[in-house]
Amino acid sequence: MKITLFHYFIKQATANIFENRLVHLIGIGTMSIAFLIFYAFILIFVNLNYWTEEQGSSLTMSIYFKGEPDRAVIEKIKKELFLFPGVTIKRFISKDDAIKSLRRRLGDKAGLLDGLKQNPLPASLEIILSRDKGGDTLPYQLKTRLEKITIVDEVQYSQEWIRRFQAIMEAIKIVGIIFGGLLFLAALFIITNTIKLTIYSRKEEIEILKLVGATNRFVKIPFMIEGSIQGFLGGVVALLILFLVYIIAIAKIDIRIGFASLDIVFLSPQYIFFLLLMSVVIGFIGSTISLGRFFRI
Amino acid sequence: MIQLFQVYKSFGSKNPALLDISLTVKKGEFVFITGPSGAGKTTLLKIIFCAERPTSGNALVDGRNLNRIKDQELSLLRRRIGVIFQDFKLLPRRNVFENVALTLEIIGFPLSMIRKKVHQTLRYLSLVNKEGYYPPQLSGGEQQRVAIARAIVNDPLILLADEPTGNLDPDLTMEIMALLKEIHIRGTTVLVATHSQELLKDTTRRIVTLNKGRIV
Ligand SMILES: Nc1ncnc2c1ncn2[C@@H]1O[C@H](COP(=O)(O)OP(=O)(O)OP(=O)(O)O)[C@@H](O)[C@H]1O
Ligand SMILES: [Mg+2]
Repeated sequence: MKITLFHYFIKQATANIFENRLVHLIGIGTMSIAFLIFYAFILIFVNLNYWTEEQGSSLTMSIYFKGEPDRAVIEKIKKELFLFPGVTIKRFISKDDAIKSLRRRLGDKAGLLDGLKQNPLPASLEIILSRDKGGDTLPYQLKTRLEKITIVDEVQYSQEWIRRFQAIMEAIKIVGIIFGGLLFLAALFIITNTIKLTIYSRKEEIEILKLVGATNRFVKIPFMIEGSIQGFLGGVVALLILFLVYIIAIAKIDIRIGFASLDIVFLSPQYIFFLLLMSVVIGFIGSTISLGRFFRI
Repeated sequence: MIQLFQVYKSFGSKNPALLDISLTVKKGEFVFITGPSGAGKTTLLKIIFCAERPTSGNALVDGRNLNRIKDQELSLLRRRIGVIFQDFKLLPRRNVFENVALTLEIIGFPLSMIRKKVHQTLRYLSLVNKEGYYPPQLSGGEQQRVAIARAIVNDPLILLADEPTGNLDPDLTMEIMALLKEIHIRGTTVLVATHSQELLKDTTRRIVTLNKGRIV
């Protein structure tokens, strides 16, 4: 019994789509643009968020020295650092290492450095602090403490700008919610109108169905399926376009912020599932809205 | 089975379509409703399957007051009333098979049963070779027979036939009348609206005559 009905509903929904294919094509096209903008935004957001969280969970601290410190001094500082929780020594960069790496980075323009009489770059020790240990005040405590050592010139760490970045992320999140809401409404508007058109194209048919004993539900369900399919197709098209753009362009870009390079990853399967589900839900809601309007008349 | 009490139906113009109609049709009866064009035959049938509500008066069908029936209940009632519409009301975008299968699909019969019943009915009406045709591809008489097939395929409690032979030649007319009789014998209450005096010539059945919306 249930199977017959299901079969009937799917058949009617696909027949509707096929008969009104132009309307649907336009609908899916415009809707997928709205979805695409939204998905692209999510992609960027997810990546930035992932990246700041990764960066935020640890921070790099550089201890710059006056002149070239001797090994014993460095060992002494290292021993002292080990007393703090969550501290790992990354590496020691001597004045020589520093200039070599600068040369490497300058490439062809390395010749600029030849004119220098003496190496202006300081030696430094890079350490990593894990954020879950030691608490938020640890970097500052360390900085003041280390800067008291005479041979230490300056201590810098990357936290400030990460903090600022996280604040920006919050702002982006809010903008995203508003923006996403508007796109959601746009997609809803498109679906509502597409389904309205197909309902009107079947107005007489609906009346006949009612006269031979069809319940409202029986009449409505094919349109709901139709809307859901439309939403789903809009979502799939948007995802495909986004994926194509991703492999052709985005994956090749190497974005650098500060020290770290930002690898852009594509949306995870969970996100894809969720976004497609959302587009189906939008389709379902949209068709329900237009059916509500029609059946009230 | 059908009881009408002082039913009036007005469409807003000066002359109402139905005036003070009181009529009782018992279960298992076969009734002709006749009268000139515009007398109100179709309107009377429409009141019975609730396509129109009486402007005043009451209509009871199978024990239900149509003035107070709920949407869901009405759907259930309509499934037990087969209607052969004067203008057929076939779905132009569904083929003959699908048009006839419709009433069974609405009820939720299993697919195999739907196939069996639809084939049986189409054979009965000599429509088997038209199964895949769409209504616009059929002649008037063929469309009429599809409309009849759809109305009788689920053995309704009540059959309302509005000019069921209007587009048929004399031979087919006799066949359809024989078919209606057979449905009647199987226990269906049948109402046939017609202005054809030919059909009524030597019938012994009850005849209700309408004129300008009144029973005469
Ligand atoms: N929906 C409507 N709106 C306005 N007037 C209507 C409507 N339906 C029927 N009428 C009027 O009601 C009267 C009766 O119409 P009805 O269709 O019941 O006649 P009938 O007896 O079936 O005629 P016929 O033999 O030609 O089918 C007519 O005058 C018609 O104009
Ligand atoms: Mg009529």
